[in-house]
Amino acid sequence: MASTAATRAAAGASKVVKPIFSRDLDEAKRRVRELYRAWYREIPSTVALFQLDINVRTGRDKVREMFDKNKHVNDPRVIDMLVIKGKMELQETIHVWKQKTHIMRFFNESQEPRPKDFLSKFYSGHDP
Amino acid sequence: MAARVLQHCVRTLRLSSGPLALRAAVVPAAPLHRALSFYSADRRTRCVNRFPSLDVLCRQYGHLPPLTLESIEERVLYVLKLYDKINPEKLQATSHFMKDLGLDSLDQVEIIMAMEDEFGFEIPDGEAEKLMTPDEIVQYIADKKDIYE
Repeated sequence: MASTAATRAAAGASKVVKPIFSRDLDEAKRRVRELYRAWYREIPSTVALFQLDINVRTGRDKVREMFDKNKHVNDPRVIDMLVIKGKMELQETIHVWKQKTHIMRFFNESQEPRPKDFLSKFYSGHDP
Repeated sequence: MAARVLQHCVRTLRLSSGPLALRAAVVPAAPLHRALSFYSADRRTRCVNRFPSLDVLCRQYGHLPPLTLESIEERVLYVLKLYDKINPEKLQATSHFMKDLGLDSLDQVEIIMAMEDEFGFEIPDGEAEKLMTPDEIVQYIADKKDIYE
């Protein structure tokens, strides 16, 4: 009884999980930086290739915004998963498997911002 | 400088073998005239028919001016002043990007990419993440380009 409790405590203290790509946080952050570099260099040719109506600066700010949204993540596996998803997006953008509309979806232009304070929610009908 | 290069080329051309009649019109410098007159007597009679145009033997390469530590530092600070997230008044050679200038790690990546574009060679990410002040960047570039005093 005491031995099983001890082993459970020891197991709960430090869980070792199988990593996706990187073994620690530093390696995961390195992957993030590599992905950021690739996206940063890709933006000018994206804007030219898809004939987007935005500046290169706007595009790069949007890339920075998407990276900053996940700035708070600390788990290497979650970071790896996000990097994988970012790489998939990058591949689709480079090979022009996407179209202009898919890229412009990042900019959320046609979506109205959701109401945050009570009165706006009241006027729009209390949609939670 | 171009005249000196031309002199050197023509001098080597003289020593190998070459048509003097073509070159004599082009070369302006005085020491070369002496060399010309020394070799002209025997060369002209022998070689003017066999090698009609040896312009291809004299290659003239363009090259960038040699890098010095001061020029590297100047260029690095110039690129940093152009970056819009850095205040140019607060920028020193020893100012740390994260602590003094308040930049992000992604900002530092952008700065290193700007340095790559400026100096024309790749900086791998393992070494790039350690470069945190303009001084370190200058030292790294001087290491890679073999410039020392």
